[in-house]
Amino acid sequence: MKARTRYQGVRRLSLLTAATLLAVAGLPAKAVDTHQLEKKLDGASESCYLSGISDRVRCGVVKVPENPAKPDGKQIEVHYAVLPAIKPSFPNEAFLAIAGGPGQSAIDHADGFDRMFRKVRQTRDILLIDQRGTGRSNLLACDDGAINALAFNDESADTTAEAQKCLDAQSADVTQYGSLNAVNDIEAVRKAAGYQKLHVYGVSYGTRMAQLYLKLHPEQVATTILDGVVPMQQSVIAIGEAIDRAVALLLADCKANEACNSQFPTLEADLAAVHTQLAQAPVSNSVRHPLTGEAETFLLTRGKFAAVVRLALYSPTTRALLPFAIHEAARGNYQSILGLYGMTVGGLDMAAGMHNAVVCGEDMHRIDAAMKSRLEQSYYGSEMFTALNKACKVWNIPQVAADFADGVTTDKPVLLLSGNLDPATPPSWAELAMANMGNARHLVAPYSGHGIARESCAAGVIAEFVSEGSAKELDTGCIEKDIRRGFYLNASTVEPLPQKSDKQDAAKASE
Amino acid sequence: MKRIMTMFRKELLDAARDKRSVMAGLYYAIGTPLIMCGLFMVLINQLSSPDDLFIKIDNADKAKDLVHYLESKGVSHSDDATKVKDIRLVIGDEYPAQMAKGEAALVTLVADNSDDKLQKSIRRLEALLQQYSAEMGSLRLIARGVDPRVVQPLKVEVEDQATADSKGGMILGLAIFTMIYSVFISGMNLAIDTSAGERERNSLALLLSHPLSTRELVWSKILAVTSFALLGVILILIVSKFAYALVPWQQLGFAINLSPSFMLLMFLVAVPIALLAASLQLSVSFMAKTFKEAQSYLTIVLFVPLMLVMASTYQVAPDVLSWLPLSGQQQALMEVVKGKELPLAQLLVTSAATLAIALVLALVMERSLKSEKVVFGL
Amino acid sequence: MIKVNGLYKKIGQVQALSNLSFEARDGEITGLLGPNGAGKTTCLRTVFGLLKPDEGFAEIDGINVADNPIAAKQALGLFPDPFGLYERLTPREYVRFFAELSGMEGAAAKDATARVLSQLKMEEIADRRCKGFSQGQRMKTALAQAIVHQPRNIILDEPTRGLDVMSTRVLRDMLKDLRAQGHCVLFSSHVMQEVAALCDRVIVMARGQVVAVGSPAELCAQTGHESLEEAFIQLIGTDEGIAA
Repeated sequence: MKARTRYQGVRRLSLLTAATLLAVAGLPAKAVDTHQLEKKLDGASESCYLSGISDRVRCGVVKVPENPAKPDGKQIEVHYAVLPAIKPSFPNEAFLAIAGGPGQSAIDHADGFDRMFRKVRQTRDILLIDQRGTGRSNLLACDDGAINALAFNDESADTTAEAQKCLDAQSADVTQYGSLNAVNDIEAVRKAAGYQKLHVYGVSYGTRMAQLYLKLHPEQVATTILDGVVPMQQSVIAIGEAIDRAVALLLADCKANEACNSQFPTLEADLAAVHTQLAQAPVSNSVRHPLTGEAETFLLTRGKFAAVVRLALYSPTTRALLPFAIHEAARGNYQSILGLYGMTVGGLDMAAGMHNAVVCGEDMHRIDAAMKSRLEQSYYGSEMFTALNKACKVWNIPQVAADFADGVTTDKPVLLLSGNLDPATPPSWAELAMANMGNARHLVAPYSGHGIARESCAAGVIAEFVSEGSAKELDTGCIEKDIRRGFYLNASTVEPLPQKSDKQDAAKASE
Repeated sequence: MKRIMTMFRKELLDAARDKRSVMAGLYYAIGTPLIMCGLFMVLINQLSSPDDLFIKIDNADKAKDLVHYLESKGVSHSDDATKVKDIRLVIGDEYPAQMAKGEAALVTLVADNSDDKLQKSIRRLEALLQQYSAEMGSLRLIARGVDPRVVQPLKVEVEDQATADSKGGMILGLAIFTMIYSVFISGMNLAIDTSAGERERNSLALLLSHPLSTRELVWSKILAVTSFALLGVILILIVSKFAYALVPWQQLGFAINLSPSFMLLMFLVAVPIALLAASLQLSVSFMAKTFKEAQSYLTIVLFVPLMLVMASTYQVAPDVLSWLPLSGQQQALMEVVKGKELPLAQLLVTSAATLAIALVLALVMERSLKSEKVVFGL
Repeated sequence: MIKVNGLYKKIGQVQALSNLSFEARDGEITGLLGPNGAGKTTCLRTVFGLLKPDEGFAEIDGINVADNPIAAKQALGLFPDPFGLYERLTPREYVRFFAELSGMEGAAAKDATARVLSQLKMEEIADRRCKGFSQGQRMKTALAQAIVHQPRNIILDEPTRGLDVMSTRVLRDMLKDLRAQGHCVLFSSHVMQEVAALCDRVIVMARGQVVAVGSPAELCAQTGHESLEEAFIQLIGTDEGIAA
């Protein structure tokens, strides 16, 4: 019974090494399930409801061969959902939104996509596909059983053994779950759902899928939107440097912010101190469980701490809490770190098996010696590389062909979006991706993080881009807007703390 | 039958040359959908909150983060009186102090909630404040090592069974209402002209002096008026099809689409209604001595069927109304528009009742035209 | 031949017809002369079946109007008072409509219409709408309507009222032509000269009854007056409602 009260659904032991990119998950993430109204027929879609969307939407399935080289072999189901246009002015087009990860389910995040692309949906269907290996489409998950995420020591775990255990649990042919097969699935879904053209939006890892689709099926593409761009030329394992950059930006932002700097003047040193301390030995705390309130032991390792910092950088709201959390941790108070850790453990809904299938086949072999030595300069880079390297040795996914890494050459309209504070895909990556794009435009939101479509400004620009079919005339003024939020100065406020004298005045006034 | 056709041709020829009859029908059929759609366009503009909503924020420097949050969601402060909406957000003087202590910080929203034009904007601001409050609350809990899900004990999923089409039901109800109304309006002038007008011009007695039975006379006139009414329906359907497509309904979250099959159904449903309208209007106008008198009678008499249709548009006492003529057809059409199955029994019963009333009225008219009093207005 | 026999008709409190009997023969112009209110219009309406007599009957060529109105009316042409024109139709359309209504087939009705319009020398106005026509043009249109289907019997209700001299002459010539062709022409009038000049036989009506029948000369002889006017006044007992 005890196990039930702990966090369940932890897909992977080491958070740090698990999700390379991540994308759409906001806090708090939700477990989502589909209520199918009718038995689904192959190819056709039926009415269904998705969590967080009160409207009726359509859900469908296409059967595809697991291995395209064996069309008569094992068939797997690829699930998709259509959020129907309010006013279907373009019945032959759909707006395909591809989730990140790799390993996230697009359908599970339907409510988020629905909110982001409300304007697009006014006239066009929104198409969501659970990529093979994720969500409902032959999920390749790794079940960790009843591991206590709070007390567990991730640094003493045997990564190789865990990877082997996960691989043994799969009944699928794991070599068939890479991006190239998944692109064919998109085509199968497009045909089954009856669309002639797609507007393709990809976020994070999803941008790789979008680029591949544009590369392989350009005639079906109306527009492409890449949000948090992973260029084809880039291995996702190289994000260690991006994480370091984002941490440095956080420290710089706090320094530049008068209130934050006066409250946490030694933030950089504090962060270094926590790393140093935890590198020596993990800290064990007696805490109340964030969700159940039961007494637990919280073992804070350097890996867990680094993961908390990294994942908190994805969302502007949790990012705002980091200076306070780091400052407190340096002083032996780990409550905020515990809170953030609780969110990341509960909130990541990643198909770790699918993640391995993609990264091991498409990214690992691209880390050459020069890259490797660069990664070793960085804590995040080296940790990630080491863990994934072990896992990939076990999974042994065949490498994709060399031309996989060729950049996309196209004259189709492409809109690239970056957030300057992005801890995964920095703006420079988008520049690399658009090197051979003749009709592309790159917008950088100076105060945003990873995946900027969830901000209303970018969502509006995307809607305009889709309806205009060109990025040239877009009204992009709002992208530059200063949307910086305040940092938490204590556990309660983001507004500058009242000066002592103010407090006395207030006290006097109330007397 | 041949004489009915002769009469019918004469009535149509005569009516087609009567500007008053033709225009009355045309103006209504073309004008109503256009005017309605124009009004809706204005209304949608006024009702929807603008992408960039400008309000007044007092004491903004006490809650910089909140103001920034609102700005990132398109709600900003402005001093420009021409674009600022009449909504004021007052940040309490104690806001930073209350926040710092983890207390609830006071913000006051000042607006006139009865102002329809502002409602969407007020709702939007309220929702944003809620979201901000929830976000702050979650972060406060995280900072204290508590999972925010703890304070969200219920997860409420709404499964709305409406379709994009049925959400526009109210609007479509109105549209159907205008279409049924057009049946009555389009033929009305002709009905008066061909009955009271015919007598006013002294041609009624001449007609009856010819080898023509009153039944033939009555039915040829009913047919003529009916065709005019149906012409009006066809016109309003075509104009509506294009006019409604121009209104950006999607901004209100629904779609209005007049499909060809709905248009066909509407036309078929309109046939018995047109017969009823024609016989009702003719029998009333035959009672009147002059054109003017007939007009004033008809305005009163038409109120009854229109009330029936109106009542079912706004769903007052729907149970009885669903089996009465006119309101029954209106409700059946509404069901179809909402994407539900066509209530065939209801439609057949009410259409049959409509036809029956039309037949009775025709018989009454036939008999009354045999009366010397009616013919000569004695 | 038009025959009425023992007609009684009460309209409201007024006994409009009271045992009225007469006949109008083929090949003759019969005048129905009486002061205003004598019952002339009521009598004619009864012949057309528009009014039902309380007693008695009317016959057209031996067909009882009350029993078989359609057949009876087919043998009748009516020149009504007032004319009852459709102002938005042209005379050609108007006349043809009534021709078809009286039972003629499309092509025949068209030919008959063309013939009667030329007979009445109406070609110039035949394709103009009736709105704005002069009284004479209206009279011609109404007359064309009455005779287009060449009915055996033609009834004219106060045909010369409001007509100018020229129009009256056209009408007179037309009626004489019809008589020559053997039609039975019955017209009502309160204009003495009209009756004197045209009629072969005059039926003098007063208070819903026939008070005298005969040619103008016979009526003068019967009353011993030299002018019809004097004779008439004596017959009806008053000069009220008579135009000289």
